Amino acid sequence: MLPRIALFIPCFVDQLCPQVGVDMARVLRRIGCDIHFPEDQTCCGQPAFNSGYWSEARDVAQRFLRVFDNTECVVGPSGSCVTMVRKFYPELLGADAAALSKFYEFSEFLTTVAKIDELGAVFPHKVTLHDSCHALRELGISAGPRNLLQKVQGLELIEMNHADECCGFGGTFAIKFGMISAAMGETKSQNALATGAEFVTSIDPSCLMHLDGVLRKQQSPLKTIHLASILATGEQQ
Amino acid sequence: MSNSSRERILGRITAALQQKSPPLPYVPRAIFAPIPDLKQRFELECQNNYTECIFTWGVEETQARLLEILASLENGAVFAEDMPFIRDRLRLAPRDLTWSSTGPATESSRATITRAKALIAATGSVFVTSSCGGRGGSIVAPVHIVLAHESQLVPDIEAALVHAEREGLPQKNSFIGIITGCSRTADIEKLLVIGAHGPRRLVVIVES
Amino acid sequence: MNAASEFLRRSIDKSADLTHRSIIRKNIDHYDAAVLRGRARFADWEAARERCAAIKHEAIENLDQLLIEFERKILARGGQVFWAENSEEARDYIANLASDRGVKRVVKSKSMVTEEIHLTPALEKLGCEVIETDLGEYIVQLRNEPPYHIVTPAMHLTRVQIAELFREKLEGVTSDEPTELVAAARRKLRAAFFSAEMGISGANFLVADAGLVAISTNEGNGRLCTTLPKIHVVVTGIEKVIPRMRDLGILWPTLAAAGTGQSVTTYNTLISGPRTAEEIDGPEEFHIVLVDNGRSELLADLEQRDALRCIRCGACLNACPVYRNIGGHTYATTYQGPIGSVLTPHFRGHEFDHLSYASSLCGNCTSVCPVKIDLHHHLLQNRRNSVQAGDHPRLERIGFHLWRWMMMSSSRFSRLARLGKIASRLGKAVGLDPLKPWTAYRASPDLPKQSFRDLWRNGRV
Repeated sequence: MLPRIALFIPCFVDQLCPQVGVDMARVLRRIGCDIHFPEDQTCCGQPAFNSGYWSEARDVAQRFLRVFDNTECVVGPSGSCVTMVRKFYPELLGADAAALSKFYEFSEFLTTVAKIDELGAVFPHKVTLHDSCHALRELGISAGPRNLLQKVQGLELIEMNHADECCGFGGTFAIKFGMISAAMGETKSQNALATGAEFVTSIDPSCLMHLDGVLRKQQSPLKTIHLASILATGEQQ
Repeated sequence: MSNSSRERILGRITAALQQKSPPLPYVPRAIFAPIPDLKQRFELECQNNYTECIFTWGVEETQARLLEILASLENGAVFAEDMPFIRDRLRLAPRDLTWSSTGPATESSRATITRAKALIAATGSVFVTSSCGGRGGSIVAPVHIVLAHESQLVPDIEAALVHAEREGLPQKNSFIGIITGCSRTADIEKLLVIGAHGPRRLVVIVES
Repeated sequence: MNAASEFLRRSIDKSADLTHRSIIRKNIDHYDAAVLRGRARFADWEAARERCAAIKHEAIENLDQLLIEFERKILARGGQVFWAENSEEARDYIANLASDRGVKRVVKSKSMVTEEIHLTPALEKLGCEVIETDLGEYIVQLRNEPPYHIVTPAMHLTRVQIAELFREKLEGVTSDEPTELVAAARRKLRAAFFSAEMGISGANFLVADAGLVAISTNEGNGRLCTTLPKIHVVVTGIEKVIPRMRDLGILWPTLAAAGTGQSVTTYNTLISGPRTAEEIDGPEEFHIVLVDNGRSELLADLEQRDALRCIRCGACLNACPVYRNIGGHTYATTYQGPIGSVLTPHFRGHEFDHLSYASSLCGNCTSVCPVKIDLHHHLLQNRRNSVQAGDHPRLERIGFHLWRWMMMSSSRFSRLARLGKIASRLGKAVGLDPLKPWTAYRASPDLPKQSFRDLWRNGRV
């Protein structure tokens, strides 16, 4: 029996790439989940936390937890936002880590809770995966997304060199140190291009927005796509 | 002179340590795989770190191999640690030897010949002290020849240090050195060059 | 121009320097391959990290007792110990010693602490010739540059550049072959080793139970600096002390694996004092300068105390994607990379907070640190400390107040985001680019008209 799922739609996904949220919802419904969207949510607090404004972050984080108070399982399409909640809320709020374990990153939910990897997705393209840093190093997510991609019909997964090297987004780092961020993005895009893939995917939409910006500026044929959007393809089961 | 700073620094440290960090427990477990054959491992590691490792059976073979090595060196003085084990094995040496009893190795030494206090299998290392021909005996010349015995093999560095503790080596010597291969540098484009300031050739003769 | 804006300017230049990027990438790829081989020597690399972390943790938590024990052992064997609160005291002690003993020439083996206290200029002012003997340090000394990396000081140079430098400054250099370049340096430095009156070294570890100074080099220069001159001076931070000699059995291999991928460094040296009466060579005088310079204050910061575990292996520098793009000189601090960014505000103040912000917090540093320092987490804490110190731009503080106000209400957030997007579109229409900080380096993002919550409300999800 799959739990009732509250959707955690990060602030920038809500405003800048809502399709990621739509696709994640589609997949969750496809596997039989009952989903709802607590509309009162805004942000997990990460931008302020990362910038050193912990007092402002604290207020927003406490509110965030209240919004999700009466939920049993929360799923979000972003490793960095889920990391903020699970790994940094204990320090920021003194929150109990056990109480935060109900928050899952999307691929993590599919792999460890739903334990489903066959989703009926169809995506006949060459794809390479970028390991986003928070997901990899804080949440230990690496094999799950690969497994999910390998089960997608027609999809050829090609590993890039230095798949686990940071793409250069880093939140406000991308603005404060834009040149370094861009240089890191260039290196990542070169590694992705070298695989011959048509798409680079990730579980983190912030990485993808940054890479997309870099690739579009280079007028590169390589396209970015969130893992949820790949999994949402194919016919309804 | 330094006293007031010493007291201030120690004072600050002690005050800081009034607050203890949460403990960092370590569950002891095997970090390295056990070494079944010390001699074999020592030989393999020497190959990896550019040490010439020569196994001999008995004094005569050691004498013979030493002569060969000495013959291959440039003309010039050879410095040797003055002790019976070494004198015996150099008895037949035709060239001039400078002995440690008359002074330390110098810039003109073409090679130095010393004992070791132990041989370390895990890393193919030689354990020396200042009693092995002084501090300079194992570093000053372009070639360093070590005369050792198979019974001196120990498994790893930790074992060698424990042995050194038991023998009181740190108390008896102002210098202890663990030498693993010949001198080298990778400071230029990370490319390995053998032979920097220390010896560019290290020979270890292990007698049984 | 302050340190932060200088750093920004240099980082912009360096990030655009594609030649630099490819040199560093090549060097670090070599390093990565070597480290894989080095770690494979361990049946359990994670256990090695844990054990080393535990040893250094124990050392830091007992720092006063261990330093006292170490000092007692050294003094009993005829060595001298000087405690220096800061750079100036350390420099003065060594300069006075050199002056008093008539030292004209000093040979130095690598020591980041001597960089930290700016020792060389102080000795040169006295008329001493100070010669770096580590090849990488020697190269940057000839170029009049600071070290680029704490372990591989000349990593930013190609062999061609080094050859040109050597052709100019040394004799007998005809090619770019590294073997020939190293041989030329050896010939030149030989004379220095044999004629210097003072040898200065750092210390990788200070052993409390046996009273030993541990020094590791691959080249053997550390050995010669501590054998030939009649005075040996060790300059070290107070945090280098470890409890037992046998701890080196795991610390040495782990340091080497993380630092260069080797099994152990070629020359691991333990020195307990000046030469004894029976010994045939060695220095007559042995001085140890224990430098505080902000370390005891860091010790008092319980949150970040573990940064004192650092064994200066350089792994975090090599792992850092920011370091790989901006290189060591951009930091303009003694210690670069993640550990440098963590430590420098503690040692030198809030002027260096910007280094903690120049990170994407990817966490690679933390994952490679052989003594398990929570590096990227400390960068976050430094950022918090920086804001609390109060000298962030007013506009930024107001910005985050507004951000909080906006995020405390979903309807407010929704409304303001919509207004923001409209303003952005209008701005673009009149030729302004409100997203300039983003679009300076990336294509303009699409701004969808409908948000996820709009779609949800309209039944489109």
